Amino acid sequence: MEVTVLIQATDEAFKIIEEARNRALDVLNTSVKFTAEAKLLEERKIQAIFKGAERTKSEVLSFLATFALLFFPFWMPLSGFFDVFHLSIGVGCCALVAYISHDLLFVNVRVGDMRTIVKRFFTYIPWLIYQIILSNIHVVKIVLSPKMPIDPKIIKFKTKLDSDISLVTFANSITLTPGTITIDIKDGEYYVHAIDEDVAYDLLYGGEMEDRVAHVFMEAEHVYVQDVLDVARIYGALR
Amino acid sequence: MIITYEDIIIKTLTRVLAPFLQLYALYVLAHGHYSPGGGFQGGVILGASIILMVIAFGLDTARKRLTEKADIVLLCIGLLIYSGVGALCLALGGNFLDYSQLTKILPVTVAKARSLGILFVETGVALGVMAVMVSLFYDISTGGLPPER
Repeated sequence: MEVTVLIQATDEAFKIIEEARNRALDVLNTSVKFTAEAKLLEERKIQAIFKGAERTKSEVLSFLATFALLFFPFWMPLSGFFDVFHLSIGVGCCALVAYISHDLLFVNVRVGDMRTIVKRFFTYIPWLIYQIILSNIHVVKIVLSPKMPIDPKIIKFKTKLDSDISLVTFANSITLTPGTITIDIKDGEYYVHAIDEDVAYDLLYGGEMEDRVAHVFMEAEHVYVQDVLDVARIYGALR
Repeated sequence: MIITYEDIIIKTLTRVLAPFLQLYALYVLAHGHYSPGGGFQGGVILGASIILMVIAFGLDTARKRLTEKADIVLLCIGLLIYSGVGALCLALGGNFLDYSQLTKILPVTVAKARSLGILFVETGVALGVMAVMVSLFYDISTGGLPPER
């Protein structure tokens, strides 16, 4: 008699333990699923920021951005009058221009990393000026030497940049540097006129300028340490 | 005829430059009485910004932004503003474009009325000049033929 009671009790105890275990497993599974989904979502967000999928869809936003860019850093210093009459004329003119051409200035802008791009662009400019001084000296040497060791050639090389603005920045940086002139960009290939071998080799095999431009505009294949830190910052801001 | 050539540098730079050009034109127009400039100069810069877009993006794209019909309408509005202000002064009892008569309908001093009158007239001139420039350019680049379709 006592044995049966004991066996029943143990059975019940086992059942209860089993149920508890199942419940705990359920809870664990759902929580694991939730964290996995959350992780996937966050990864997708970061990917979206990188790929530029989060673009300015809203025309109002681009209108406001164009208006602010036109009015504060351009109209106000240009005008120099800060009375009500001139400021109201300025607001009217900027609103008109922003309305006419709000689709021109901000195309394919990635919202998340605009600030980073601007910051990096302003650190790129001093480096570019330094490069311009260096190649100025190089060209002066060529011009002043009595032999005139020029060897003009047109070189063609493939680029790893892909957005319009980075292609144009790189092309204009090449043109600004003495000794090299960008002739054309066609199908992702640059056609550059170079004054001698050194300059041409720098462009063909050096590629530091291209790397820097890619870094400025956060092109996909150039994830630097700074990029990773920025992603961490954006990720933190999103949370 | 203008043949479109896909040049990414010119296209992108035009895209970035055009709003600033247009705003500069309006600045030249609005500050004509303080600094060099005025209606004609502002209108020419405004027209140049549109001609630049025709050169960069091709005739068809630019004509979608400013159609020939709208261009002619703007031309007429510019002329109407100019002659309207003149005729208003005439109707108020002065000579043609005698801005001092505007004090009868505007609550300002005579000097301010002259300044405002000139601003209105200059706006009309700017619109007219811009529209004529663009219209001439359209006519030359299409060979005087009407747009297809």
